[in-house]
Amino acid sequence: MHRSIIRELETLLGASAVLSNSEDLLLYEYDGSIEESHPDAIVFPARKEDVVAIMALANRHGLPIVGRGAGTGLSGGALARRGGIVVSFSRMNHILEIDPENRRAVVEPGVVNLDLSRAVEKYGLYFAPDPSSQKACTIGGNVAENSGGPHTLAYGVTSNHVTGLELVLPDAQVVRVGGRAMETPGYDLTGLVVGSEGTFALVTEITVKLLRLPEDVRTLLAIFDSLEEATDSVAEITSRGITPAACEMLDGYTLRAVEAYVHAGFPVDSAAVLLMEVEGLRESAEAQAAEIGEVCLRHHAREVRRARDGRERALLWKGRKEAFGAIGRVSPSYYVLDGVIPRTKLTPTLLRIEEISKHFGLVIGNIFHAGDGNLHPLILFDHRDADQFRRARAAGDEIMRLCVEMGGTLTGEHGVGMEKNELMPLMFSESDLDLMRKVRAVFNPADMLNPDKVLPLGKGCGETRLQPFPVSAAGKA
Amino acid sequence: MSQLAPSLTSRLPDLVGPARVITNAASLAACEVDGHSPSAILQPESPAEIAEILRFASAERLAVIPMGGRTHLGIGMPPRHYDLAVDLSRMNKILACEPRDLTLGIEPGVTCADLARELLQKGQFLPIAPPFNDRATLGGMVAAGVDSPLRYGYGATRDFLLGIEFVTGEGLISKSGGRVVKNVTGYDLHKLFVGSLGTLGIVTRLNFRTFPLPQFRRMFLVAFDGPSRAFEFCRLLVNSPLDPKVLEVLNPGTAALFQSRGVDFLPSSSWLVAIEAAGHEPVLVRHERDLASISREAGAAKFISLEESQRDQLFACLSEFPSIALASKRPGVIFRVPAVPSAMPSLLEKIRCVADDHNDDHGLTCAILIRALGVVYVALLSPEQFPVGDNPGAPLINCSRSMFDLFISHGALPTIERCPLDVKTALDVWPPAGPENEIVQRLKRVFDPREILSPGRFRGGI
Repeated sequence: MHRSIIRELETLLGASAVLSNSEDLLLYEYDGSIEESHPDAIVFPARKEDVVAIMALANRHGLPIVGRGAGTGLSGGALARRGGIVVSFSRMNHILEIDPENRRAVVEPGVVNLDLSRAVEKYGLYFAPDPSSQKACTIGGNVAENSGGPHTLAYGVTSNHVTGLELVLPDAQVVRVGGRAMETPGYDLTGLVVGSEGTFALVTEITVKLLRLPEDVRTLLAIFDSLEEATDSVAEITSRGITPAACEMLDGYTLRAVEAYVHAGFPVDSAAVLLMEVEGLRESAEAQAAEIGEVCLRHHAREVRRARDGRERALLWKGRKEAFGAIGRVSPSYYVLDGVIPRTKLTPTLLRIEEISKHFGLVIGNIFHAGDGNLHPLILFDHRDADQFRRARAAGDEIMRLCVEMGGTLTGEHGVGMEKNELMPLMFSESDLDLMRKVRAVFNPADMLNPDKVLPLGKGCGETRLQPFPVSAAGKA
Repeated sequence: MSQLAPSLTSRLPDLVGPARVITNAASLAACEVDGHSPSAILQPESPAEIAEILRFASAERLAVIPMGGRTHLGIGMPPRHYDLAVDLSRMNKILACEPRDLTLGIEPGVTCADLARELLQKGQFLPIAPPFNDRATLGGMVAAGVDSPLRYGYGATRDFLLGIEFVTGEGLISKSGGRVVKNVTGYDLHKLFVGSLGTLGIVTRLNFRTFPLPQFRRMFLVAFDGPSRAFEFCRLLVNSPLDPKVLEVLNPGTAALFQSRGVDFLPSSSWLVAIEAAGHEPVLVRHERDLASISREAGAAKFISLEESQRDQLFACLSEFPSIALASKRPGVIFRVPAVPSAMPSLLEKIRCVADDHNDDHGLTCAILIRALGVVYVALLSPEQFPVGDNPGAPLINCSRSMFDLFISHGALPTIERCPLDVKTALDVWPPAGPENEIVQRLKRVFDPREILSPGRFRGGI
């Protein structure tokens, strides 16, 4: 990038709000995924007007622009794939308003997810989406990716909790969509923009719903000697009409790695653990916890433990939330996948993943939101070994293909980004994708905002062309 | 009535077969939309046939209105043109029902009542309970953006619609979303279709998340001598740990309408709050105990725990509010006004002022139903003795205009959901186009570049 553009940015925002030295840029070449790319400059706007000015400048110079929250994303959504300016929202991190009576909060995009829940706790409220990275990830990032988390099983993903947005479009226009009320007449633009992975607009203000903290929470850990019994328990729990607030599963490999790191009390000789939470009224939590325990024991759980207090609950959750960190200790690199299958297909899918693991000669651990069929296989590899890296990617693609074959989808919460955009034809036909391209062009006609993400680039690179999975066969595999 | 050139009419049987092209006068009249009737009704049975129809209509620039049970065709402005009705009632199959996955895939012409019966056998339900439940179709309810008393506990349609398959105005078969309960793959185009009134495409498949039927449910009714106490009760309730599935507030006008339908257990001349709890028996017992105590704290006149049959009767009335309000055939106007809870007391006070003025002068009455503490439905009704079929006249139009202006000045975005045609010639039923209008217009052109789908019916003249 030309030095004069950097100077222009510095004049606009102040020198301390612009980074352009290569060692400073290094940090922004990565996010939580295995992708990397090289931005030309990082800017730190402090207010909407800064964002508008940055957008106008990028426009004038024909530079790509990419929004970034905490960089915890797992599909390369915050990476500058074509270089250009990365807009980091870390200074726009103010909670603008808390409206407990209407259960809304208005926040800037850089507010950290958990900080919002902490700020509204005194009103007995919280923000429901809770990605595992919630200590670091931002609400702007959650809006871009339509993030989930363990508790979205009962409460839905980010789009279910956002009622209004302020957008800065690629032409530097500011437009508000939605509002504080629960609906707005006309097309649901808020619903369309949430989850558009930063390719439609930069979001400068977000109105979110807040939920009342439950009166009671019961956390259970069920330990199984067979993975199949664990997955069958999940299906039975759901079909009995119990909607746990969360229902997480770790397979034997993963739970052993976690136990060695966190000491959460997972028996290292077991095949799977199910971590479940039910919440709500005291009466309801108690009745559901009892029923879940009974179902698991009927499916030959070795043991069902209940957290007796907040400390035990926190420990059980630590085992889940820090699982990725635990894997990081036993493998130089790991590739976190994100796919969804119908929850009744858990057992056959896990068996096939085991075959894929053997075929590619790589260890694959499984950790997932079992309640909604959202899998997070972890492929262990060494990124310094080019062949392993290639095999890890190939195994990942194979697992994605499997999820679609099972009637599921390519991503449940991490987004498509630059990780899976070339896999999109597995789910969507050329004309489906063309329509999506046209919808993106309504907001972002020149594809200068987070370019080359979400949709396939159509370059092919001599790869075998992906065929869309026939609609009629989906779900019957 | 639209008149198609014979050269076009003769090609219709090629699209769906001669038996499914309907042109008799009575059927055409039944598909009338705001005084406009089509030249023909086509009854496709597959997405491919719908694609054929739309490619033809697009090439010939014929205006198409898709329809299901024809229960909500009055929503929106009169169409600018209307040549072909696409009747989706033959596309009424349940395509996939996976009880253990809590997912469902259906064609758009499945009626809400049929689906409810089917799901009931599997111990599940979909929280859509629209007016005219026995005729209304799921495709129609998604297009009309209809909500139900279950909204408080289970969310609106956008929250449990997982994905759709559809045909665009140009006749391209496409899809959005998926069939599993969690999915963020690609852009969520299906969100746009909820409430889009058939202006973006014709939906050929809907995928929903279903819900397990609760073990038990019980409805409670609390009566207050005025709205401020009713709102105080609601405030205490939402700040309590209780977890109701239904929360609706009725003014005395609405209570009187329901009484006239034989609901004899409603206290008269009161503001009423209906609450439903669901789950295990101890959960219901807890709700009953705590609700009774909150009622006392808010100064309620009466607290009633309803019998099962009473519950069914009241729930049906809440679902059917618009049809009950307009059943007497006297002209009326129904507004749908989204608002946050804190804005409601002052909004209601102003509604009362406007309504009182017009009541004194012209005998108009006002029935109010507040849904899920988030949407205010206001029905303005002409006097009982109003001659059937007569022109509603200036009073109703004037009062509607005052109401509309009042909502706008209050920062709310009202929609007139039902009204006589005369009102539509005097007033736009949609709020004025917002700052997002340019995006909205461009989106419309992506899905329907030749503007053949329900032209002119939607907000912003779309």
